[in-house]
Amino acid sequence: MPRTGQHNAPTGFRGRSNETVTAPPDDCLARNEWICGAYLSSRRQILLDAVVQHLQLTALSVLIGLVIALPLAVLARRWGWAAGPVLALTTILYTIPSLAMFSLLLPLYGLSAALVVAGLVLYSLTLLVRNVLAGLRAVPEETRQAARGLGYGPIRLLLTVELPLALPAAMAGLRIATVSAVSLVTVGAIVGFGGLGNLIYAGMNTYFKAQVLTASVLCVLIAVAADLLLLGVQWLITPWTRAGRARVPPRRGRARGTAVETKAGRA
Amino acid sequence: MRRALPALALLALTACSTGPSLEHRGQVTAPPGDSHRLTIGSAGFTESDLLAQMYAQLLNQAGYKTSILTVANRELYEPALESGQIDVVPEYAATFADWLNAKTHGADARPVGSPDLDATMKALRALAAPRGLTVLPPGRAVDQNAFAVSASYARQHHLETLSDLGASKLRVRIAAGDECVQRPYCEPGLKKVYGIDVIGVDPKGVGTTQAKRAVQEGRDQMVLTTTTDATLDQFGLVLLADDKHLQNADYVVPVVNRSRAGSERVAKALGKLNDVLTTEDLARLNQQVDSWRRLPADVTRTWLKDKGLLK
Repeated sequence: MPRTGQHNAPTGFRGRSNETVTAPPDDCLARNEWICGAYLSSRRQILLDAVVQHLQLTALSVLIGLVIALPLAVLARRWGWAAGPVLALTTILYTIPSLAMFSLLLPLYGLSAALVVAGLVLYSLTLLVRNVLAGLRAVPEETRQAARGLGYGPIRLLLTVELPLALPAAMAGLRIATVSAVSLVTVGAIVGFGGLGNLIYAGMNTYFKAQVLTASVLCVLIAVAADLLLLGVQWLITPWTRAGRARVPPRRGRARGTAVETKAGRA
Repeated sequence: MRRALPALALLALTACSTGPSLEHRGQVTAPPGDSHRLTIGSAGFTESDLLAQMYAQLLNQAGYKTSILTVANRELYEPALESGQIDVVPEYAATFADWLNAKTHGADARPVGSPDLDATMKALRALAAPRGLTVLPPGRAVDQNAFAVSASYARQHHLETLSDLGASKLRVRIAAGDECVQRPYCEPGLKKVYGIDVIGVDPKGVGTTQAKRAVQEGRDQMVLTTTTDATLDQFGLVLLADDKHLQNADYVVPVVNRSRAGSERVAKALGKLNDVLTTEDLARLNQQVDSWRRLPADVTRTWLKDKGLLK
């Protein structure tokens, strides 16, 4: 709609009324519809880049988190006194609000993807450490005794008996940590590295329905896909749990999947 | 030894820091640099995105490799600009001057941004230089507070400027943020500088849809918005000119990290915008992104080509 009447330009610019005003296009973007094909076709590359960034940030942070959490859990299992402080520390880290976490880490990492990954790693620790530890603790004492009786040293006991038996619980923790990381990555948008979060935040600022919905749906799809993938991995690497279920349901001697679920849906 | 492992793990995590440290501000005295790769910062709102895109496209043409980093706010990008993680940022002269002033002299420092562009630029450059930042010359585009009334109201009372409104002796209720009651650019300034009979402030927010609708429907007479607001037509509103310069000189200025983007070549590439980009252009570009939902990159490329700034 052209500006009616004499337009009074404030100081600093002139001639608004002389310019021809182009009519707004009439498509689902301009109409701001929730579902919009034109959005998908005009932003294909942007969406793809955001998904790739989202996957990279999630995968990297969960992997690094696992690498750090595993020894922590093993240590906490080996020395009982360490369990309290380790769990306390990781839980305190988990309670730091994500915005504050990124601000605290900013001086160390600057505006970089590493900043987001570091924050996510710290968040994943509590879920991973707790669950790996729960898995290790669920290994029956008789099993450990039997392994020792067979001459297993501590390392061999850990690698071939305890860790495999802790797998179901550890995998449950990994799944929660991964899904939680998928949603937390979006907060990285405040520093420009938030994967799909960049699009969600930009879309919320301008009330861009198609963008917010599309990016959110993709986020959920990534979380579901990652969860299914990990479920598949667990199925593949713990064949004994299926064998047990199929034949004799063992009353003991099988590590129970005692997942410690903490609030997973933050951010 | 093993006891230290958790601490070590955390250390390892933080040690791979690639970030800039706030301690490394030695570049302040370094000569103007000319880095081949430049990162342009955007503050995440539409106008900032558009300006960042323009800068990127013009710098690309001048032979630089550019990337854009969108960050939530000034608190995040300004330190990155000082450290050289971000090299170029679109800023607003008076607002940025006041922000740097508060950062340097504390939140209670006397504001240095003013309606006087030259004084504002002088204060801004004095604050920016010690931080290794160079403020390039401002152009014509200004994004400052502005007041709009309904077109019919303006016609009926022959209003073109805020002075006209003051002279008309009309009683005016302003749809604005509740801080309008105190801010010198708002109610106090309107009363003192223009003699406008402000009978109240309707706290509907600055330039929100509700605020504009209130004026459109005649519940309020005037709305506080900005000069680059492109949705005024939609609500049948027109701006009244700030003919006595009540508003601060929030001219668009590129701010660069001197040691990385302080070269003449960068200044020349970005300077091309100065004579061309008007407040009205910015408003129209904002509209294409906010209302029509075009991509900032496409919108600016088309505009730059139309103006002959981009081949």
